[in-house]
Formats: sequence, C-alpha cells, structure tokens
Amino acid sequence: MKNERLLLVLGCSVMEQELRQFQNGQTEFKFLDYGLHRTPEHMAQALQVEIDQVSGEKYDGIVLGYGLCSNGIVGVQSQTHTLIIPRIHDCISLFLGSLERYRQQSSINPGTYYLTPGWIERGQTPISKYEDYAKSYGEETAQWVIHEELKHYTRIALIDTGVHPLEPYRKVARKNAEFLGVSYEELPGSPMLFKELVCGPWGKNFLIIEKGQSIQQDMFLDL
Amino acid sequence: MINRKEKLNMVKGLSGTPETGVDMTLSQLGQAVVLRDCKLVKEITENLVKEEVNHFQILNRGLIPGMLEVSERFRRGEFFIPELLMSSRALKFGLNVLRPLMREKKKDVLGKVVVGTVKFDLHDIGKNLVIILLEGDGFEIIDLGVDVSPEKFVKAIEKNEAKLLAMSSLLTSTMSWMKFTIELLHATGLTRKVKTMVGGAPVTPIFAKNIGADGYCREATSAPSLARELLGIEGDEATVIPK
Repeated sequence: MKNERLLLVLGCSVMEQELRQFQNGQTEFKFLDYGLHRTPEHMAQALQVEIDQVSGEKYDGIVLGYGLCSNGIVGVQSQTHTLIIPRIHDCISLFLGSLERYRQQSSINPGTYYLTPGWIERGQTPISKYEDYAKSYGEETAQWVIHEELKHYTRIALIDTGVHPLEPYRKVARKNAEFLGVSYEELPGSPMLFKELVCGPWGKNFLIIEKGQSIQQDMFLDL
Repeated sequence: MINRKEKLNMVKGLSGTPETGVDMTLSQLGQAVVLRDCKLVKEITENLVKEEVNHFQILNRGLIPGMLEVSERFRRGEFFIPELLMSSRALKFGLNVLRPLMREKKKDVLGKVVVGTVKFDLHDIGKNLVIILLEGDGFEIIDLGVDVSPEKFVKAIEKNEAKLLAMSSLLTSTMSWMKFTIELLHATGLTRKVKTMVGGAPVTPIFAKNIGADGYCREATSAPSLARELLGIEGDEATVIPK
C-alpha cells in the first residue's frame, strides 16, 4: 500500500539548487523563468497556467517556491489541489532562513542589494542590468539610469546558501559592489525554510491554500 | 539624425484628440513625454507658453496625459524602469518652463504637503514623480526622502503645519509602515488637521481603506487631483475613500 504523498514543487529558477537539494523521491520539480519577477502583473497568469496544466493529476499538493513577490502571486488558485506557499514577502527570506532574519537585515541596512548564486546565474545583477540597458539606450543613458535607479543602495550582500562553491559568485558580487560604489558583505544563508517547504511540516511560516481558494495579499501581511 | 523640427512634425498626438491647433500641440507634448525627449518637451512647452496657453492646460492636457500613458505602459510590462525614469526627467524639463510662470500668477500656494517613502523602503521613483506633479500643480512640498519613520513624518507635519501627508511604499514588506504612521497621527491628534494619501505599486484600494488612509492614488499622475479633492480645493478623477 502506498502511503507516501507526492508533491509538485513549482518554483522560481533562482532557487532551483536550494530546493532540489531536498529531493526525496516524493517530489517532482518544475522551475519557471526568473523573468516573471520583473513583471508581477504576468506572474500570477504564468503560474496559473502551470497549475491548471496539472489539474486533477495525482499530486497530493502543489508547493510554490514563491513569496508574495510584489503581489505577483495574488489570485493564484487550484480547483483540484491544495497549495502550499511560504508566508514571506520575497525569496530573500527563503535564502536567509526566516522572515525575521530578513527584517533584521533590512533594519540594519535597508539599502541592501541581495545576491545569491542563483540570482547571479539566472536573475539580474546591477552590472547585468546596466549591460541590458546599454544595449537598448546606449552607455551614457544606461549609466544615468542605473545610478538613478539604485542610488539609495549602500551595500551588496551575497548570501551563501551552502549549495554552490562561493568563489566565482564572490568575484561577481564584489565587482557589482565596486560598480555601484557600495560596501560588500557576505551573509550566511539557511536551508531551513527550503527544507520545510519541500519536506514539511508546514507550520506558521507557511500558508495552506485549500482547493478553490485563491491567494490574497492580506494573507501575508501582519495587520 | 533627424532634426528636432522634423521630429516635432513626426510626433503623433495621443489618440482621441483633434489633429489641429493647440489641442494637437498639447497632445504632441504628451507624446514627447512618452518619447522621453527632454529637449522636445522643453521646446513644445515654451511654444505653448508663447502662444499664451493656460499653464494648467499645458499640465493637465499635455504633460500629465503623456506621463499617464508611460505609467500605463509600465504597468502592462511594455515599459520598464529606464523608460519611467527618462520620461520623468523629460516631464521635469516641461515643468521647469512652467514653474516660474505659475509662481508669478499665484499669491499663495495651494497648501503644504509632506511627502516621503516609508520606513525601511528606499524606492523613490514614484514618490519623486508625485513631488514633481504636486509642485507643478501649486502645492508646497516638504520632501522627507526615503526610509522615513512615523515619528519623522509626524514631526514634519507639526513643524510645517502641513495639510496633507503623502506616503509611498514599493515593497509589500514595508507597506505596514503606512499603517503605523497613520496610527501615530491618530495618537497625536493630528488626523484632525491633516489628510493622508497613499500609493505605490503593491498598495491596493482595500489596503488603503483598511489602514484608514483618506485617499488612494493608483497612479502618480492622479496625485494632484486627489490632493485637491482631499483638501476641498477642487478635483476630479480622484479616489477619495469613503469612511
């Protein structure tokens, strides 16, 4: 008799390695492009398509490797599966291990631009943003835009999530700090939330969204 | 390289407006903001001023509709931060032409507005746009910048006897500071003297209502009309939240 549950983990590609390390034979993984982060308006739609595609399939639940993500998750629902989602604003809390640690870091230095190996590989850095801008608008304008956009940042923090050799990412992160003229720091990450997300148990740090119920902003806020 | 005059002729007005006369020029001005062409915006604004077109017309039927289109395209994912920043810069060029003339005509400012991005939040593109527009409309701005604590907001309101507080937040993790600030306004009795308006990408009308804000601004471009309405000056298209 089969009594093991089967979960589908639907996550953002910037945290692929951090989630996959907890692969346990009871989970299937699918990762979506980081680009959804840039347009929160399209994120719910893209996630909904994925969820609808597995409608009625054998899974005992769908785990979302996302946070509230600038409301990008709002409206997502499943008619046939329970959804499990960490109760966090964005993935920085996942990488740091808790919402509390993220809050603590923000209060120490709200002007922190966080990087992780996954972000550097799949997401964006100030330099990669600048290079994209330069292609579209020329170097001079790109310089103006990037410094205008990021003028309040005072620190680059590379989070060591423990699943990648850090050296190559350290180089990139330091270069970005130099580019912005800000300080550089490394922060230890934590696998705790990733582990709980994939393996359970889903305590107070998670939202369990029942079939037919949709994800709402206020579920994430302490009001 | 296309010269400016040719470009001016090529600029199509925003849709739904007549294709001749001042209306067309106003509409071209809006389009120049969308094209984020600072010099063109300056040139058209100067021409309109020369033709003695009313400043509010230039603002409300030229510059603001242009910026509104930029915001809408940003929302739809057609424009990104660079376009938003560059169009804001172009808008400023137009307002710099208008500002001295508006001051000349006006004896008193419409009122003092304290503006800032909430605690632990450093995003100010939207907030700065709101400032440009409110100033352009005749309000006096006390800009507290970013990462502003509830106490700092309260102090500035008391010191300047401001009539309106405009708060911005771009992160769902900092939105609650709007609530904490409004709570402090209640605690200090300031809610009797000052109105509050809130905005920023993650802020929704429901959230604004729940935290007790007087007004919600979906777009920076609707800030002037909302501010006027909240202060009973005059106004349209604004969203005053019924209590």
